[in-house]
Amino acid sequence: MIVKFIESIGDKTLGTLSSFYEALKFTFICLAHMVTPSSYNPAMRMVLTKQIYFTAVTIIPLFVMMAFIFGSVIIGVVIALATQYNLQDKIGSIIITFVIDEFSPFFTALLISLRSGTAINTEIAVMNVNKELNTLRQYKIDLIDYLFLPRIISGIISITSLSIIFALIMLSSGYVFTLLYMNMDLHTYKTILINAIEVKDLIILLLKSLAFGFATMLIPIYSGLKAGAAYTAIPISVLNGMVKLFIAIFLIEVLSLLIQSL
Amino acid sequence: MEIGQYTDTLEDYSLISKDTPLISNLNMLENIALIKEVHELLSIEKAENIAKESLEKIGLSHIGLNRLNQCSSLEVFYVMFIRALMSRDMNVIITTPFFLISNLRDIQPILDNIEILNTHKNIFIFDNITNKSHYEGSSCPIVK
Repeated sequence: MIVKFIESIGDKTLGTLSSFYEALKFTFICLAHMVTPSSYNPAMRMVLTKQIYFTAVTIIPLFVMMAFIFGSVIIGVVIALATQYNLQDKIGSIIITFVIDEFSPFFTALLISLRSGTAINTEIAVMNVNKELNTLRQYKIDLIDYLFLPRIISGIISITSLSIIFALIMLSSGYVFTLLYMNMDLHTYKTILINAIEVKDLIILLLKSLAFGFATMLIPIYSGLKAGAAYTAIPISVLNGMVKLFIAIFLIEVLSLLIQSL
Repeated sequence: MEIGQYTDTLEDYSLISKDTPLISNLNMLENIALIKEVHELLSIEKAENIAKESLEKIGLSHIGLNRLNQCSSLEVFYVMFIRALMSRDMNVIITTPFFLISNLRDIQPILDNIEILNTHKNIFIFDNITNKSHYEGSSCPIVK
């Protein structure tokens, strides 16, 4: 009984380590392809263009609306709290840290995960089940170059650019609230923000967006690739992929907070 | 003879079978053009023009922009065949065409179109012995 229990723990540990190693290997292979110029053939560039369009462009109206609604409400609460606790002199750095370093990349990553991450996971899993991936292998078309790389790069580009748009919208709505709560004019608001912003904030925004973009696409792709051969395996693959993706997003967020606090 | 026994003797071949379906998120032209875009680095426009010319040869230019679900099994088969011709492999293997094309009774029209499309490649058709009668009297030699 005890031996069996220990064996099952060992078995599960080995299984987890083995899949972690495989996932890590897949990540490094994708990164290596990313820096190889021959990966960027005409077919790949076409897929990349389409992916950027579907991930970043078609979402803009919804994204701007959500950024305005959520962004305004949250920045309003932050400014109201800052005023309540007499932190008006720190309002610039509070807004910059909250909007640029934390909220914009995180919210964008969540939105893109829900919209494009699920779509990509399903797409790859369906292609896997339908043996379309087998077709690509048979015709010596590199799956990473043709299928995965455009999606990963589009994720990185989309999340970075949408995070910047989100931050700009939030900062603009921040002005409305500073005007209402603190009676601050636009010139003063601009000066406060310019004085508060540092290169470090922009680097954090960029690095976090890159990490979120990479994870948001890589994990669903990997999960879709690991789907079984039956149609019933597709929802399971999407479910597992999304859980792993959300864990990864929170891990990146926690990791960035830890690094910033050092 | 088993298919595996034969394919082992071939250096390179393009396979047309139920295990190599068309890519469902591409239209017919894109499915054909993809091979040349990847292997010969042709621009999308040039590769799609070649694909269009091939479809025109057998009177299927109208399906160029169709997706997989908008085409009949016969049209899908021809697109798969043209796609195989686009690769650099000198041999093309078609497995069980009577399974790939629904309600196919006569193989000869297929062989005629294959002849129109193909200029220089070796085409092999693998089928079950139970379908032997379908090939009797056709223009291709039968090897057991």
